[in-house]
Amino acid sequence: MEISSDTFLDNASAALRDTDKAKRRDFIAIATPQIRKAAIDEFEGFDALRKHVKRIRQHSLNNLAHYLEKFEQEAVQNGNRVHFARDGAQLNDIVLDICQQHGAKKVIKGKSMITEETGLNDFLKRGNLDVVETDLGEYIIQLAGEAPSHIVGPALHKSADEIGELFLKNHKLGDREFQETENLVDEARGVLREHFLKGDVGIIGSNALIAENGYSMLVTNEGNGDLCANLPDVLVICTSIDRVLPRAEDATAMLRLLVRSATGQPQTCYTSFYSGPRRDTDIDGPVETHFVLLDNRRSDILTSDYREMLECIRCGACLNHCPIYASVGGHAYGSVYQGPMGSVLTPLLTSLEESSALPNACTTCGRCAEVCPADIPLPDLLRNLRQEENDKKLTSSRWRSGLKLHSWLARHPRLYQWVTGIVIPAMHIIGGSRGRLSRLPMASGWTSQRDFPAPESRTFMQQYKARLRKNHEQ
Amino acid sequence: MSNSSRAELLDKLRDTASGQSAGRIELERNAMGSGNAPFVSANNLSLTYLQNVLANRGSITCVANRNEAVQAVGNYLYGHFRSHRLVAGNDPRLAAMPWRDAGVLPRFGSLEEGEPAALSYAKLGIVETGAVVTYTGKGNPCANHLLPEHHLVLVDVNDLVLNLEQAWEKINGDLGKDGRPRGINMIAGPSSTADIEGQVVYGAHGPRRWHVILLGEVPEETRELAKNNAPTD
Ligand code: SF4
Repeated sequence: MEISSDTFLDNASAALRDTDKAKRRDFIAIATPQIRKAAIDEFEGFDALRKHVKRIRQHSLNNLAHYLEKFEQEAVQNGNRVHFARDGAQLNDIVLDICQQHGAKKVIKGKSMITEETGLNDFLKRGNLDVVETDLGEYIIQLAGEAPSHIVGPALHKSADEIGELFLKNHKLGDREFQETENLVDEARGVLREHFLKGDVGIIGSNALIAENGYSMLVTNEGNGDLCANLPDVLVICTSIDRVLPRAEDATAMLRLLVRSATGQPQTCYTSFYSGPRRDTDIDGPVETHFVLLDNRRSDILTSDYREMLECIRCGACLNHCPIYASVGGHAYGSVYQGPMGSVLTPLLTSLEESSALPNACTTCGRCAEVCPADIPLPDLLRNLRQEENDKKLTSSRWRSGLKLHSWLARHPRLYQWVTGIVIPAMHIIGGSRGRLSRLPMASGWTSQRDFPAPESRTFMQQYKARLRKNHEQ
Repeated sequence: MSNSSRAELLDKLRDTASGQSAGRIELERNAMGSGNAPFVSANNLSLTYLQNVLANRGSITCVANRNEAVQAVGNYLYGHFRSHRLVAGNDPRLAAMPWRDAGVLPRFGSLEEGEPAALSYAKLGIVETGAVVTYTGKGNPCANHLLPEHHLVLVDVNDLVLNLEQAWEKINGDLGKDGRPRGINMIAGPSSTADIEGQVVYGAHGPRRWHVILLGEVPEETRELAKNNAPTD
């Protein structure tokens, strides 16, 4: 998985200066939480269902070998070929091999985070294949040569005007104007319809693999994934090993959480379950179907303290509720996974050395954990990654010494109270009538950008003791 | 290449797994039961169902019998296309409809370029989400629900189920009886996208309009709802 997360701070600074994109980030941060809240308020049992699905997910992960084998057995019986890929490179090789065996020229793709993770598009292009993303958002960023900025809405950072310019440049359809968003969607519909009809191989992702019957669930609103799954002669479903669930009803229980959290709907326009190649009674559909199941370190994550991250259902709610994501946008993360879920997952799928800035891109406000339909304690996982960063000495020695000092002090409460009893009132006095400090030793990272609010005149413990004394006297 | 990865991976996973037998794993899953579904009043299922279809931006018609059904299809087609061109899957229930009475002569098969509308007969309607369920096959080629401009679906009022769990009960019954269809499709609205500035636009890649015709005896209230929300051209 290719990342550029080491430049997070520079990317973030650049993003903060881009006021045009900030408007669209504001939309994500303001509108999507409201849409989600309305949907969840209407469904009173959301929290109880969240707990139920979590139990099922944990049960599936506890017995992953069993359920994967069961799924494989059923899928093979349904007429599929099932491949396992250790890492991204192996997945790419397997898919290219399938395409070449069929002499494919054009590959049409539905939205798939797994193939974003493995960089499949570039790999197939190097193998002389014409690869067309068909999800509208993915298609737009493919034309722009960009990475997705959001796991659900990959092109939400782009304005309609920018998209219009892209279409004018890339679609040779003569002079025209795009008055409305509908005109843009219409043009993409027409252009992509041609690609759909000419695709030799379709590649899609999967929201869940169902062990009991070997079906794969696909959740979309556009229907592009379904066209990719149904029109070409060959279908390849690329997903990861952690997507397997015991039963069909488990998949749709999860669907209730996923769709409400992502788009606020009770169910997307298309929820499709695919079992394999065309049957004797079918008059359309692919004649050959493959599953490629990716590990890429997930089996390591399973045995680590970060195991709960495998329960993520990719709804995007944690991005939509994250103040950091809202401020700097998805590209700053330098990864196909952004926001809180990306800040946990990226270091686990790559290395903390390459992406240590990400776990620090968090204010620990806790909103992500509150809204996560998979009930993943994201701030805890981010904090653990920071701890690891510290233990591995990836932070500066000055930072580590400061933390060590703080931790030592915190373990000596009397001394801690004595020191803060001097420092806090002193800061209060220096803050003066403005109540703010414009400079602080060892905290220039903060004060170079903004003032530090001066604390109250006394510490909490000083005030608490004074109150106890007063109560005692009365 | 993927064979060695398979063995390697499954061995690794087995080492870390709970080590329980398949039977115990099954028992453990059974003990977890089903998740809770949103409350749906069983009072007037047809009314709630059509309300949810409308919320999904579908349009609705209510008909009491097959004669009314073909008339409704004919009226819809004429209203939108000034023609009666229609494609329908080779579903015996559709073939047995009195099409001539409405002047509609469907072509039975898979949608071809230039054909604007297709009709499916749903296996089920899911009240909880306002969705229809179809199985791909001769009776419902996938082109018919993915490629037309308008997708019309007949839903028998006796095929309404309360929620997704009940839908699976029925679907699993069919799978046990008739084998597994290649695709099980739950459809809940016309194709849509919000990928440009978050603005919802209908008709992304699939049908721009989705029309549900509910067939059977329903309470007056349901008929009223359908009458007040008659599809516009
Ligand atoms: S971590 Fe939770 S909120 Fe974030 S994408 Fe995953 S499931 Fe959704």
